[in-house]
Amino acid sequence: MLKRLASLALLFCAPVHAAPMLDQGRLQQLASTPYWIALGHYETGKLGGWRSYVDDDAFFLAHDGAHHPDRELKATVQALYAPASLGDKHAQCVFPARTRWLKEQLGLQDLPQPQCQEFKTWYQSIDPHSAALIFPAAYLNSPSSMFGHTLLRIDQSTTRSDDTTLLSYAINFGAYIEGSDNSILYAWKGLAGGYPGLFALMPYQEKLSEYRSLENRDLWEYQLDLTPEETGRMVEHVWELKQIQFDYFFFDENCSYRLLELLQVARPGLDLTSQFPLTAIPTDTVKAVKQSGLVASELYRPSRERELLARAAPLDHDEKRQVLAVSADTAQLQNPAFKALPRERQALIQDAAYRLERYRANGQERDPGQAKRSFELLRAINSNPPPPLAIERPGLPEDGHDSRTWQLGVGTREDRAYAEYGLRMAYHDLNDNAYGFPLGAQIEILQLKVRQYEGNDWQVQRLDLATIRSLTPRNELLKPWSWQVAGGLERVPGKHDDEVLVSHVNGGAGGTWQLGDDLLGFALGTVRVEHHNDFAQFIAPAAGFNGGLLWRNGLGNMTLEAKGDYFTNGEVRRSVSLNQQWEISQNLGLRLSASRQFSHLSTAQNEVMLEVKWYHY
Amino acid sequence: MKRILLGTLFTVASLNAMADAPGGPNCGWGNMLFEGQRGTPAHFLASTTNGTSGNATFGMTSGTNGCSTKSALTYGGKSWFAMNGMMNELSEDMAMGQGEALTTYAVVLGVAPEDRAHFASVTHDHFNQIFSSADVNAETVHSNTLAVLKNDPRLAKYATEA
Repeated sequence: MLKRLASLALLFCAPVHAAPMLDQGRLQQLASTPYWIALGHYETGKLGGWRSYVDDDAFFLAHDGAHHPDRELKATVQALYAPASLGDKHAQCVFPARTRWLKEQLGLQDLPQPQCQEFKTWYQSIDPHSAALIFPAAYLNSPSSMFGHTLLRIDQSTTRSDDTTLLSYAINFGAYIEGSDNSILYAWKGLAGGYPGLFALMPYQEKLSEYRSLENRDLWEYQLDLTPEETGRMVEHVWELKQIQFDYFFFDENCSYRLLELLQVARPGLDLTSQFPLTAIPTDTVKAVKQSGLVASELYRPSRERELLARAAPLDHDEKRQVLAVSADTAQLQNPAFKALPRERQALIQDAAYRLERYRANGQERDPGQAKRSFELLRAINSNPPPPLAIERPGLPEDGHDSRTWQLGVGTREDRAYAEYGLRMAYHDLNDNAYGFPLGAQIEILQLKVRQYEGNDWQVQRLDLATIRSLTPRNELLKPWSWQVAGGLERVPGKHDDEVLVSHVNGGAGGTWQLGDDLLGFALGTVRVEHHNDFAQFIAPAAGFNGGLLWRNGLGNMTLEAKGDYFTNGEVRRSVSLNQQWEISQNLGLRLSASRQFSHLSTAQNEVMLEVKWYHY
Repeated sequence: MKRILLGTLFTVASLNAMADAPGGPNCGWGNMLFEGQRGTPAHFLASTTNGTSGNATFGMTSGTNGCSTKSALTYGGKSWFAMNGMMNELSEDMAMGQGEALTTYAVVLGVAPEDRAHFASVTHDHFNQIFSSADVNAETVHSNTLAVLKNDPRLAKYATEA
């Protein structure tokens, strides 16, 4: 009797949850909706079908879910009906975004109710209300930073009223580096997909500190107009991506591409990723986000270095010397020469000295002497505070020229005319349209130039793998190095008065000085190694120089450069060149180049060219 | 109010809720002013990864790291001061009498919006009392702040531990 009662009881107490049977048609239709594809990070495979960017079995419930969104959907629906006792491991707790959507689409009223304690705690402390796209801009002495980076900031319900974002969280996608590879391997693996990519969530203040102080990069904060529901949906999906591995490729499957995917999850119907089939350079993705109407407002946060230079800018030469003296020894604050200065000037000097000390302490272990000096300066600032800094906002990075350049030129070399066709994959050189870029920074990746001389004589003129130049001006307070590095193929004078294609690698270091408001002068010592068919040796080294002027005038940027390479085998190669850009519009420029090249192997050669530069992604 | 929310959240998860002391060295209370910053400064090749080494953090620790959760100033299971560079920024803002870090400090201490300007000027005037030395640590700064608040009639109500 009891047994029968017991089994009867079991029948009534057993959970009546059962996954609904989905017919094939409905399944296929749901599985191919853009939203489900976005949630699974699927892309169309090269030979048809689907492939997910996610490179992690933990993300899929079906064993081949990475290639079959329909099987993944079916498996997810099944898993939603698992017993609630699974708790935090229940599919509803691991995949809250999928759960929400499937529930809506299929009208699932009878789901079990597991306690998703871990997720709830996490979600409540994030308290997502709105979001901002954060763009750390280029740092002049780190040209690869010119590509920029993008991350998201999640603001809470009280952020607006409290008027501080220091309690917000940042969502960052980046390569997950294990162990300590050396610098070159690090860079190579980042480019070539040697590291997995992971999402991380941390206090926004951590990122601010990292970018503004450690890396001295300005930050642009684009407040997005996502509603609390949309922000919440996006954050739910980020929970699904916890510790989930993606591939990471610097150029295409990178931080920016992943963030565009997140925005598409936040607002279904948004299509941002299809604009980036080949590469996703962060500034370009910022443009895309802006064009889609997501951006409500923009805020600029200058880096610590920029603040230091802004504070020191109105100081005259003697006052700058005081800054250096005071920051080296705070006893100088008691010096009669210092105390004789007007109070306001003392305030500025103290603040500049403090900022300089903190700038020097960047990235270092705590030094008690430095800490003591900084502290004395803080005390001095406290008793005589300076006025708040007002820094003029520089050009918007997203309004700079597009990252890819198409080039068409006509010119003459000595008495032969030619047409030149060129394509540069990225990014910016010293003469390109300057708005939104720092003056003196150059980074070019993959540039090919081909010439057609009269008589249908074609030749490859140059193939640059990478050319990076960083001409950061030295001033009284900061004395950074200027440097450059380049490698590829280029044409140089040969024995028979012709141009020979050589492969080369070269580098240089030196200094740059601000000669006027828009005028830089630079001088570098260089080293070069090349393989030249007209040379006896396989590899010929040379030492040399590279100096000149960079002037931003009414038309555009102008460079006047002199270069010399003194080879160990006796060849001496020198050139003088003048380049003037005429900035026609944001994405169009015209450049006049004139040069004279000297070599021991041939007579001096003159070259003049007029080139159209079309910046177009 | 933010501090209550933080407090209860972590009391639920923490196993050490009854600990009086702020906890071990990783909680951030021992952080000194002008602590060196974490992270690698940029070298020109580093930006190809934009990543992090070590565990990809994901926000809240579950409170089992032994840090006291009684204090209001917890953020992610650690002291608010432990955030990269936070204490430095606070000292700078307080020396000047205004700034975002100072506002955030007021928020985290539970100061009501209408009292925040007064909080900024009071702490600015008592800077030497709060940041009493170059080697002062987070715990001391916090208790010094509470002492200063206690002496101000308008702000005394905020001078309680979580």
